[in-house]
Amino acid sequence: MIATVEPIATAKPKSIAELRQTVSASRLNTWLSCRLKFYFHYVRGIRKPKTAALHVGTSVHGILKLWNKARWRRQPFTVEMAREQFDTLWQTDQAQEKVRWEQGEEADEKQTAWSLLDLYLKRSPIPPNEMPEGVEVSVEADLAQHGLPKLIGIIDLIRAGGRIVDFKTVGQTPKEEKAIHTNEVQLTGYALLYRANTGKVEGGRDLHQLVKTKTPKLIVTQQGPMTQPQQTRLFRQMESYVAGLDRQDFVPSPGMQCSMCSFINECKRWS
Amino acid sequence: MALQLEANYSKKVGLPGYSSHQFSLSLKSELTDLNQVPAEAARLYRLLQDGVDSSIKEIGWLPEAKPTNGNGHSNGNGHSNGHPRNGNGNGAQQPNGSSEAWNCTPKQQELIIKIVDDNRLDKAEVEKLAQDRFGKGVKQLNKLDASGFIEELFERYPRQRNGNGQGNGYQRQNAPAR
Repeated sequence: MIATVEPIATAKPKSIAELRQTVSASRLNTWLSCRLKFYFHYVRGIRKPKTAALHVGTSVHGILKLWNKARWRRQPFTVEMAREQFDTLWQTDQAQEKVRWEQGEEADEKQTAWSLLDLYLKRSPIPPNEMPEGVEVSVEADLAQHGLPKLIGIIDLIRAGGRIVDFKTVGQTPKEEKAIHTNEVQLTGYALLYRANTGKVEGGRDLHQLVKTKTPKLIVTQQGPMTQPQQTRLFRQMESYVAGLDRQDFVPSPGMQCSMCSFINECKRWS
Repeated sequence: MALQLEANYSKKVGLPGYSSHQFSLSLKSELTDLNQVPAEAARLYRLLQDGVDSSIKEIGWLPEAKPTNGNGHSNGNGHSNGHPRNGNGNGAQQPNGSSEAWNCTPKQQELIIKIVDDNRLDKAEVEKLAQDRFGKGVKQLNKLDASGFIEELFERYPRQRNGNGQGNGYQRQNAPAR
């Protein structure tokens, strides 16, 4: 029996049948990290106010999208233009989705977000005249022949030569091996999506991680194209997702991740 | 030092019922001298093309033809919706006016055509936009390109509201996935 406290807000709940039809990397990651969290978020549709970290991430992503689109359209996009857009986006995003700020937190977080962007725009490894192959492109891959749901996703950036880039804002300086491991589902999923939608093998898969340290840092982690074992692992994880949904296996997975989880109160009531 | 030459040949062919199939072959060859590249590249190209061509003739299974849908688009490689077009005025139904198959999905094709129709866009302009953004024509856009192209069209030509002011007239093939 799963009992919850009154939700703050709800999205349209999804049926099990609906959730079985498609899966994204973020949904699969939630499933793999905690099935009860998955239940609250996707099945029940409970929505909590956005965290400060998420708002920083969304704002940074929004400006990087504009920067990438400007290169794609061969339009100018200066740091000054970025700052202006950033100030607007910071407010408009909050108007759409409330952010849970601690006392006096917002100004510091805004400064952090802008510092990350300022660093990236000045130190990006992507040449300013490099034309992207795709920007925030929404794609899907039909995996019915493998007995799996349709994989869906939005790829942040595809550089010339099919190099997939995912932007991340992170709290701690990542170690390369760990970053590759923890982002495996996402990067393998993007490779599958790229191949299914272009008929070509991706040129590589890069993480551009913006680290929210006192002095911001940019860490670029590069990987080659998806390997067969990586594809097999993703398929096995998707099989587990389908089988678990069929069983309605929504047990909690207490662990380190609970410190960041917004469903902690609902979880404690679960039995 | 051995030089490695990697060649890939891919062909996608449109089939009836909004279908298409494609086949790719890749191979690597080792050379000892850079001067051998032109001859070896030509040899590999011919070899791979012959290999692909001989196999791709086998069409295999095809989905059953679907009936014409409500908005007047019939299946197959052409469509007819009765709307007059801007542009060359020859009544051709697709943005670049030729009859070859599209590389994107049928849904993406339908959506691009619908945006062009609804906004009465000049086909030449639409074709130019595709060339500018992707270096290829509208029909040559693969699924990934088409997704970006549709997004670009949506930004340039905001989605139309329906009669009661709710929602919009277009539905993306892919919902946001996060």
